[in-house]
Amino acid sequence: MIARALRGLGLGGITGNPVAIAVVLVLMALLLAVPATHNDYLTLVFRQILMYAAMAYGWNLIGGYTGYVSFGNVTFFGLGAYCSGVLSTHGVDNLFADIALAVVVNAAFAVLMGIPVLRLRGPYFGIATLGIGVAVAEIVANFDALGGSSGLAVHQVDEAHFSIYYYAMWLVALVSILGTFVIARSKLGYAFVAIRENEDAAAALGISATRYKITAWALGAMMAGAAGAIFAPANGFIDPSITFATDSNVFPIVMTILGGIGTVAGPFIGALLLAGVNELLQRYFVNAHTLFFGSMIVLVVLLLPRGLVWLFGLRGGVRGWLRSVAAYRA
Amino acid sequence: MELWAQDLVNGILAGGILALVAVGFSLVWGIMNIINLAHGAFVMLGAYVTYELFTALHLDPFLSLPISFIALFVLGYAIQRWLINWVVRAPILTTFLLTFGLSLLIVNIAQIIWTGDRRGVETWYAGANFSLGAVTVPWVKLLTLIAALAITGILQLWLTRSKTGRAIRATSMDIGAAQLAGVRVSQIYAIVFGLGAGLAGVAGTLIALSSSISPTMGDPFLISAFAVCVLGGLGSVQGALIGGLTYGIIQQTVAARLEVTIGTQQISGSGLEDAIAFIVLLLVLIVRPTGILGRATA
Amino acid sequence: MFLRPTAVLGVCAIAVTLLAPVQSVGADPDTIVFGSPVSLTGNLAKEGHLTQEGYEFWKNYINAHGGLKVGGKTYKVDIKYYDDESKNDSSAQLAERLIDQDHVNFLLGPYGSGTSFTVAQMAERKKVPMVEGNGAAEKIFNQGFKYTFGVLSPARRYLEGVLEMAKAQKPAAQTVAITAASDAFSQEVAQGAANWAQAHGMKVVYNNKYPDTATDVSSVISALKATNPDLVLNAGHVQDALLVQKGLKDQNVQAKGYGYTVGPDTPDFANSLGKDANDVFGAAQWSDAVKYHAAAGFYRSAKDYAEAFQAVYHHRADYHNAESSAACLAFQYAIEKAGSLDPEKVRDALVNLDVVTFYGILKFDSRGLNVYKPMVVNQIQNGTLVTVWPAGLAEAKVIWPTPPWGKR
Repeated sequence: MIARALRGLGLGGITGNPVAIAVVLVLMALLLAVPATHNDYLTLVFRQILMYAAMAYGWNLIGGYTGYVSFGNVTFFGLGAYCSGVLSTHGVDNLFADIALAVVVNAAFAVLMGIPVLRLRGPYFGIATLGIGVAVAEIVANFDALGGSSGLAVHQVDEAHFSIYYYAMWLVALVSILGTFVIARSKLGYAFVAIRENEDAAAALGISATRYKITAWALGAMMAGAAGAIFAPANGFIDPSITFATDSNVFPIVMTILGGIGTVAGPFIGALLLAGVNELLQRYFVNAHTLFFGSMIVLVVLLLPRGLVWLFGLRGGVRGWLRSVAAYRA
Repeated sequence: MELWAQDLVNGILAGGILALVAVGFSLVWGIMNIINLAHGAFVMLGAYVTYELFTALHLDPFLSLPISFIALFVLGYAIQRWLINWVVRAPILTTFLLTFGLSLLIVNIAQIIWTGDRRGVETWYAGANFSLGAVTVPWVKLLTLIAALAITGILQLWLTRSKTGRAIRATSMDIGAAQLAGVRVSQIYAIVFGLGAGLAGVAGTLIALSSSISPTMGDPFLISAFAVCVLGGLGSVQGALIGGLTYGIIQQTVAARLEVTIGTQQISGSGLEDAIAFIVLLLVLIVRPTGILGRATA
Repeated sequence: MFLRPTAVLGVCAIAVTLLAPVQSVGADPDTIVFGSPVSLTGNLAKEGHLTQEGYEFWKNYINAHGGLKVGGKTYKVDIKYYDDESKNDSSAQLAERLIDQDHVNFLLGPYGSGTSFTVAQMAERKKVPMVEGNGAAEKIFNQGFKYTFGVLSPARRYLEGVLEMAKAQKPAAQTVAITAASDAFSQEVAQGAANWAQAHGMKVVYNNKYPDTATDVSSVISALKATNPDLVLNAGHVQDALLVQKGLKDQNVQAKGYGYTVGPDTPDFANSLGKDANDVFGAAQWSDAVKYHAAAGFYRSAKDYAEAFQAVYHHRADYHNAESSAACLAFQYAIEKAGSLDPEKVRDALVNLDVVTFYGILKFDSRGLNVYKPMVVNQIQNGTLVTVWPAGLAEAKVIWPTPPWGKR
């Protein structure tokens, strides 16, 4: 019933299950209240979740909607963080300036890198992006002006105003969610999906694949870059191992897959689930948390191969679920 | 001039092992369309098998090669048959996620069993070397290269000549046709995955001779495996070999010798080994989008 | 049909569980709680465990000997650990959890300079005193932090002892080759070594780095070999020390001496390399040969500490264990002197601390770094680690020059 009402509003189809989207928006509204609890730790936890969500949305555009699986989106996060770092070193401590610079730099970088790299298909594209990430990380580590491998201290606002980082991250996440929604339902979204389903046919129909691919990648880059620009001052210290971390690369992908690729609600739900469970495991199982984490991922993949959002729209109850699980067997 | 020769030799020797690590990874990716993130963990397990045999029975690592192959083959076969097989026809990202979880599990179980202590296998011939003019060639690394070449050679022969090998190649070309021809696909998949794991185990054994053994030792090899198999072309045994040797040579020659000064910043190639290797990879891909020996159909 | 509501409920349940305030673990008024994010898994798992052993050893001693006396009241001690998985990016979160959720009184440092920096930053923000014994990069202490103290000698000093010793031998070492991993600690060590060598008339013939995840350093070694150095120095951790030593033998590099950081002191080094580990020098923050007469309250000498440690953990106490226990000792003396658990009072007591322990003198300069404690140089002789420098502490004569491979 709710689903029908939401569909009337235009939600559904390319954006994924409408109930899921509604749930996400409600949760986002609830999350606004977190800093008011004056629990710094909780604020940090949810700020991290929002950060991963923004990065996941960035990946979702190129990896989920357009079907170009990128293993290098961490580059944008890292570049965004270093934008803040460099500005801080030169005395500029304005969060808006940080985000603005990060967005511009990352869009430009994505376009620049996209032109040669988006010509590659499938696994070749994936490895090329992985290579970009590795190369940028190592290059940054070699430049003393960027702090080299020992990193940069980034100026932080004082304790009284610290929640600005939370609200900024929340805003970036919200923009990512709404942005994905708007993009998905626009001509861009349908072009992306057309490229994903059959790029050659799409090109034959007159869709300029290169232009759309680069657009997808650049838009995603801006989301990840903005998240990185906020992370840097919030963390207070950045170095190549923190900003180009494998976790920051893999987690957004894993979160999007778990939540549901190519949907509007998927990345957020995946981020909440994965980061939330990871947090709880670390708290209560100091010695075995990775073991449980790995097991959880394996179980979820086996039981929910299509992601969590898909579960929202499942028909046929338990039997329907069992049938869909068996569909992927050899 | 002599330094270049030494670097080239170093590169070829290093490349052999990179190729061996990549070959199993490449087969699984090319034939089953699965990115096995647990491949590094399999390499690590192979190294520990060798370590245990060496410590308990004083078995020479080279003699433990067949044992680590069989052990990891069995493990890989079991994992595929009873775990991965449930989602083997799912999109590539689903299996990617599954192997991600698996690698976390395997590495952490290894951590619990063997702790983070770094272990080593110190044979009586470790470090022995001979000289060819001004170039010093370590025996262990040379034998590793020979073993890697032999193994990839045998593999290629088996894939092209044996019945199972041909069934595997048929499955990778056209699943439907292969099934019609009587190939049991689930069995083939299990064999291929087991093969990939077994090859990783063998690589691990050889790596144990030159590096220290620890639960996380497989990670850097996994990253280079990504690059190597794409460089050479997915699913191709010769491609993995060429890709590995190329990657190794680039790292040890160009990367180690490069010295550039930008403004006041001095940059030496040795801190940029991976970056340079990947940049070369990018350039190769731009010129040949499916790798040096890759198939035209992606 | 029940699956959809279940999904909705499930997602909301996770969100709510995170929001629910966690009962603080044991807000026990009779226990002082320390918090420490150490690397229990990942690349630095071994080093992290050594750190944890050092902390636990001290804790058990204190609790067995009546606890800490603070202003007339006796407290037990507890330490809460989290695993940072050898990654720098989660340290801030773990430190914040320790402070805000677990309400720890004080922080004990993690292993490694990158993580120490991040945790120090958090300590500064929250005004919680932190003492660390395992992050030697000076960068941490050049930030003007007021709440972080390091009991260990700074990174740049690590290889100075080896250089000094090598220069004093006959035939003296005149040329030095330095290789270093690309991480912050190793780079600072290499820089310090190069500076000292040049300032004292030794020629640095090679100074280069490799990525800290390198699997093959052959070319670095070939280039190094071509410069024919008297002394080969490596700045890195255990993994690369092993890689470099094996590589040196592979390519038949014949120098008069070989010096490493971190590696030789850990049992893993000698265990993995067997005879090839012999005659290698290791720069150490401490060894059981140092002859300090410690103040009361803990083991009175290095030998006592080493023996007691061996009895409990069944391996030789290495300097990571010692410096971790020393970090706890700094708190012990500071808290007792302050007579209170108030963070500001304890911090002030740390600033003015000046006490001799089994580990050496614990005294901090204006930045919070312990520049007053000298490094020692150990050498692996016949499989055993012995202290050979400074001369006043030497347990055995320096073996110099190092015999050729195969004859050690």
